[in-house]
Amino acid sequence: MLFPTLAFGVFFLFVYFTSWSLDRENGRRKLFLLLASWFFYAQWDWRFVGLLILSAVLNWGVAAAIARSDDGGRRKWLVGLGVAFNLLVLGFFKYYGFFIEQAGELLSQFGWGRDLPLLQVILPVGISFFTFQGISYVVDVHRRKTPVARSLLDVMLLMSFFPHLVAGPIVRASDLLPQFDRTPRLTREMATHGLLLIVWGLFKKTVIASELSVRLVDPVFFDPSAYGSLDMIAAVYGYAVQIYCDFSAYSDMAIGIAALLGYSFPRNFDQPYRAGSMQSFWRRWHISLSSWLRDYLYVPLGGGRKGLVSSSLNVFITMVLGGLWHGAAWTFLAWGALHGGVQVVERIGRAAFGDRRVIHPVLGVLITFHIVCLGWILFRAENFDMAMQVLIGLGRWWQPMVMVTPLLLTLIVGGLAMHWLPPRAIEGVAERLKTAPSVTLALLLGVAFLLVEAVRPDGVAPFIYFQF
Amino acid sequence: MTDDHDPHDETRPDPFPVPDPASPFPPLEEGRTVWAAPAGDADAAPVGEPVPSDPPSDWNAGADAHDLPTLEHRLSALHRFAFPPAPPLDDEGVAARDRRWTSRTIVLLTLFMLVFNAASLQNWSRQQAPGWLSSTVQQLSDVWSEQVAQLGADQPRTAVRDTYEAARDERFIGQDPAAS
Repeated sequence: MLFPTLAFGVFFLFVYFTSWSLDRENGRRKLFLLLASWFFYAQWDWRFVGLLILSAVLNWGVAAAIARSDDGGRRKWLVGLGVAFNLLVLGFFKYYGFFIEQAGELLSQFGWGRDLPLLQVILPVGISFFTFQGISYVVDVHRRKTPVARSLLDVMLLMSFFPHLVAGPIVRASDLLPQFDRTPRLTREMATHGLLLIVWGLFKKTVIASELSVRLVDPVFFDPSAYGSLDMIAAVYGYAVQIYCDFSAYSDMAIGIAALLGYSFPRNFDQPYRAGSMQSFWRRWHISLSSWLRDYLYVPLGGGRKGLVSSSLNVFITMVLGGLWHGAAWTFLAWGALHGGVQVVERIGRAAFGDRRVIHPVLGVLITFHIVCLGWILFRAENFDMAMQVLIGLGRWWQPMVMVTPLLLTLIVGGLAMHWLPPRAIEGVAERLKTAPSVTLALLLGVAFLLVEAVRPDGVAPFIYFQF
Repeated sequence: MTDDHDPHDETRPDPFPVPDPASPFPPLEEGRTVWAAPAGDADAAPVGEPVPSDPPSDWNAGADAHDLPTLEHRLSALHRFAFPPAPPLDDEGVAARDRRWTSRTIVLLTLFMLVFNAASLQNWSRQQAPGWLSSTVQQLSDVWSEQVAQLGADQPRTAVRDTYEAARDERFIGQDPAAS
């Protein structure tokens, strides 16, 4: 069940009205939201609801045991157990096939080829997100940064809450558990902001991302050797816009849906292509993942406490593992290594030149954007051969432009230009509209929804980040 | 019994009532006797010197013009009597009001979309797997779409879609035209 579908609209209306009719008893309301979330998840594959429940029960049990123990050694052992369990779940479903395949190839190279136990493991949708949430909960309880949840219901809802379940944002226990403790309030600010985020996300996903995907990016990346440089450049820029509009649309809609149910999620994107450096890019792109990697990987590795070499190594390892988180493929590792490597160069540059401005800010934005686009080629290509084909195609100047149309060019330019809107434009509009009568707001939103619905294609492709 | 008590001592009851020397009425212009108090004693006996003074008045400096009673329409009075104003809302009340406002917005938005975007409902119902429920929904959505189309409610959507598709078919100079 995808957000931009009528089926989800009907589901959400039912959840909205039922949950608010249960607001006098918070426990019953949470139980209803949990059941609704399981129903939502079961639309993909009902068997994995069991995995979700098992994961929540084990994380709850481990965190409760950590909270009850005062023995430092025992607490460490328990947190290690909790993290290992989550990584085991993630590793089996996401990386088993990849590592077995690599091991088989390696053994064959040494002449020790064996029939390794290959399994067709179905990847549960959103597994990377809910296992990361489980890890953050257990580690935060161990670090005493968040109190242990009052009930198993809270942990289950934390990990299963349908707005963030399948593609984030990764909402931490310290953000969500305190909200579960009290009956939520719905203010006009939250409602207006939530509705605007939903319609904005719908526009980005169903109009910009879908159009670019179907009419430009997918055909060009399917057969890169058939297109010239202008088409290729447009496809690479188009993919940069597509992935931003796709993923940020999901986050916007998730935040908006949660807001209408009375819960507040953290911001996940902040105009990433405005970044003047790779470090700045990661403070603006998928913020919940980058802050997760910082707190649970980079800092435990030593962070920046032990000098330039150590911090550079740590950031590189963090980014490579962040790349691997996106998918079990060498292209994702290379993508992570590219981002990590550029950040290492930036650190060395800062160590050498201090805070002096070495390059003009506009040039910094342009360089960063094009490095990010280079990374997107690795990210989008199915293998290195295809990525090389795209890079070679960028130099094929003699071939005519066949794919790019005025509309597609407008969408690409528009998708990039939206990064130069005022940083909190939606919040500003929501602030103005919150005092409007409900009829006025409904009419304005209705016109906006109608415009989007009129131009969107009939079907809708799954969000890119569902596969992660 | 002596009479040398302090006249300002209010704790001591006076044996006899003392006439108030101040007149409650404004003095007459002709042949009037002005009572003026010597300095330091307001209750002293009057002297013959005429002293101009403001006439006493019922002016109240603390009053506000908005406090004065105004003529209220009888229907307004009846309304106020029949529907007395509610006490100011507490937090729960504000939350409930905001929730009602949001729910009203969502309901109106849904109705708006049902009327002006009936084609989406029709398309969606046609994409569902065949079955009793989906065929019923499909028939209902077909009837509904025809009804709103007769009222012309599908025109805005159609116009926007046609414009967008025309824009989609636009090509740069030198490019092959879009396949029809």
